[in-house]
Amino acid sequence: MPNILEARDLAKYFGGVRALDGVTISVPERSIVGLIGPNGSGKTTLFNVVTGFYEPTRGEVLLKNNSGSMERIDGLNPNEVFLKGVVRTFQVPRLFTSLTVLENVLVTPPVQIGEKVLDAPFKSRWEKQERELAKKAVGLLKKFGMEKYVYSRITELSVAHIKLLETIRGLMTSAKLYLLDEPAAGVDYGVARELFNYIRGLREEGLTFLIVEHRLDVLMDYVDYVYVLHNGKLLSEGKPSEVVNDPKVIEAYIGG
Amino acid sequence: MPEFDLIGFLVQWLTVFGLYSILAITLNLEAGFAGLTNFGKVVFYGIGAYVGATLTTYLTLYLNNVDPFECPPYSIDGIVKLIELGGKSPSLSIGLLALSLLAAFIAAGSVGFLLTYPILRVGPAFVGFTLLSFGELMRIFLRHYEPVGGSKGLAAIPRPFGWVGDPRLSSFIFLLLVLGLVALTYIAMNKLTNSPMGRMLRAVRDDEIAALCLGKHVPGIKALTLFIGSGFSGMAGALMAYYFTSVNPDMFVPAVTFNVWAMVILGGMGNFTGSIIGVALFTLMDRLLAFITPALGVAVISPDYIRWMFVGLLIVVVLLFMPKGLLAERPLKTPALDEARKLLVEGGGGA
Repeated sequence: MPNILEARDLAKYFGGVRALDGVTISVPERSIVGLIGPNGSGKTTLFNVVTGFYEPTRGEVLLKNNSGSMERIDGLNPNEVFLKGVVRTFQVPRLFTSLTVLENVLVTPPVQIGEKVLDAPFKSRWEKQERELAKKAVGLLKKFGMEKYVYSRITELSVAHIKLLETIRGLMTSAKLYLLDEPAAGVDYGVARELFNYIRGLREEGLTFLIVEHRLDVLMDYVDYVYVLHNGKLLSEGKPSEVVNDPKVIEAYIGG
Repeated sequence: MPEFDLIGFLVQWLTVFGLYSILAITLNLEAGFAGLTNFGKVVFYGIGAYVGATLTTYLTLYLNNVDPFECPPYSIDGIVKLIELGGKSPSLSIGLLALSLLAAFIAAGSVGFLLTYPILRVGPAFVGFTLLSFGELMRIFLRHYEPVGGSKGLAAIPRPFGWVGDPRLSSFIFLLLVLGLVALTYIAMNKLTNSPMGRMLRAVRDDEIAALCLGKHVPGIKALTLFIGSGFSGMAGALMAYYFTSVNPDMFVPAVTFNVWAMVILGGMGNFTGSIIGVALFTLMDRLLAFITPALGVAVISPDYIRWMFVGLLIVVVLLFMPKGLLAERPLKTPALDEARKLLVEGGGGA
């Protein structure tokens, strides 16, 4: 499979701190790629650079565009990166706390007629689209067993549901690439496996995932390829079975 | 003791109520929905008032064959001429009114749009202070800008319905116009926000970064919100100039902004109906205090201060018992709710 995302020699320095120091990774289309590493190894910084929150100090980020060629996306704003087809979730979930669960999910779809100021006051122009989106949203929420919470506010949800909802919110668009930052943190084992099963199903439908996760027990059963970061550099990469047996990885995780 | 003129009181109160309602509703759009801490509300009100006043006075003179540059509207001669000429022709008066409202909307809206540029990269507190300072800058500029009368401002602005003859009737017609604009603002804002757009505004308010990550053009959304809010405030300003028939820089002090904030907070952030109730309470209290305080014989403290003490007390008491204001924010009404209900009832048994 051709790559959908490539990061080449990517570096991000904060003063003297080298959060990322020359990382090269590639994510093939229709794959689930894991990104693991101890705390502070640069996983979230990598996400932040790819999604436009930081400009890289060095290196470039390339994304496959609709015409099939690789296009540089470093230096774009986060909203532009999203519109290119990249969705991300956050380690500490960032939900819209005063909106209901349904409303949270409905914020995501990009081209909403009713978000345009000249169309918004005229319900007839966007009602059809709104109903279709609502159908899709409720369908997704049901799939993850959250139909009971459709009208709940975020403040009434458990941590696990909040995590789950952020991922569901990301699924409301027809993006090509999903960057999920610890989707299974704080989610119970059964729900975590369900979530990953669903992710695998979406992969079959043509989506691609790059996932940061500390729950290796769950992650390793689902990923096709794993990158291990340590102190801003790539420590190891390979198929899950290779990586977990790599002595360097074991040392970095367990310490030494 | 003078006889209490109930009709006169009501017309006066409702007109002020109307002007402030427009400001409060639009501030609620900006602050309650989009999370923009607009401490510069008075800027846009002031721009509208000055645009309306300047256009009306200069054009009244010019169209009556008086050269407004020879005999400017802020000079004694100009004021005498304005009193003599103003408000005689219905078509001219209405034409100037319409022109002023339109120009006030565009001018105030554009300034609001442009002012989002300096505030894009800063947090809510700095947005507030930037806009607050801009208001003071504008006031100081106006005090020293001769063509709009400097510190004396512009006076004898012809009333748009002066040609009716009976002053009570013309005030009443003017009141209807103000209330019409309030209704327009209220309906427009409700329609605008009970939509995916309102959802997007609230999303930006709740978490700008998350909204950005979901592809929302946050700077553009803020600029648009300030354009709309400021444009309507500009129209309220133009009406205010006609109502008082004069404008001067010291009408546009930061206290005006904070009054509007107090009304919005009291009524409930994110709820337009609440804002209207907040305005009604405040303006009514204000008018009543203006009547009552002299009768109480309190001469040591100026009625102005008593009013401010009351405002503070009222906010503290209401927020103690109702932290979200009199009317709390409600979930937006879009067809999604209805659609979800249908789906959940049909598939109630689970998949």
